Amino acid sequence: MEHAAPAIFVALEQSGLASGIRQSLWLYPAANVGHIVFLFCFAGAIAVMDLRMVGAFAATSPGHVLRGARRAALVAFSGLAVTGFVLFAAEASHVAVNPVFQFKLGLIVIGLINIALFELYTAPMVKDLPPLAPLPKAARRSGILSLAIWLAVAACGRSIAYF
Amino acid sequence: MGGIMSKRIALIAVFALVGPAAAHHGWGSYDAANPVTVSGPILTSKFENPHATITVKGDKEWTVTLAPTFRMNNRGATADVIATGKTVTAFGYPSTAEKGEMRAERITVDGKTYEMR
Repeated sequence: MEHAAPAIFVALEQSGLASGIRQSLWLYPAANVGHIVFLFCFAGAIAVMDLRMVGAFAATSPGHVLRGARRAALVAFSGLAVTGFVLFAAEASHVAVNPVFQFKLGLIVIGLINIALFELYTAPMVKDLPPLAPLPKAARRSGILSLAIWLAVAACGRSIAYF
Repeated sequence: MGGIMSKRIALIAVFALVGPAAAHHGWGSYDAANPVTVSGPILTSKFENPHATITVKGDKEWTVTLAPTFRMNNRGATADVIATGKTVTAFGYPSTAEKGEMRAERITVDGKTYEMR
């Protein structure tokens, strides 16, 4: 039962890379700490963008807010992906079949699709608007959805250990 | 043709993921109300993250989950202390999800007790 995970995840867990992660004294704890620190940075950057799209900080130029926060979010997301992979690889065959982890991955995919749609359709509409200009409904919808998704992703991440 | 085939593959993939998920467990499933003490020789020893584990030949063979290696070292329970062949007494909580697995609260080796939490 324990090793009923798809072969690719068993192979990943048994790889030299994963074994090196497990045997290192500091690599796994460093990835664990790094993951939460990058999450903090990512959540901050995302929240700034989402809240602006929902209508907060209305006196700022939406284009400038998006440009700065987007860069920070990209860096933080890259950090999350790298540290997340380290944590996943060490226990791939177990984590891959964890229902909360699967749910979390699904949410991340939805969150990324939301970002892609926002960048394709909504961001071009708002980026040149002046401060205090009313924003399109799509921006508000995207911001609320984004906040909800990424907070749920964070909650799922912490919950993996309990299922 | 191709459509049916890819649907079938998708179905298999879904079952491969969902099937074992029901059987999987995490750190939530240990029975703290019924602690066990397991004593005997260490059969295998993995000094690894996220948790060191040993198997112990007690009344039956137990898999004993210990602490992260950094904490193990901090508490003095180094890889040598839990090496294969040593005799250990482990007090802890049996898993409610996986038979023969327990999470140790503390272990005693050579008269010395090491706290795992």
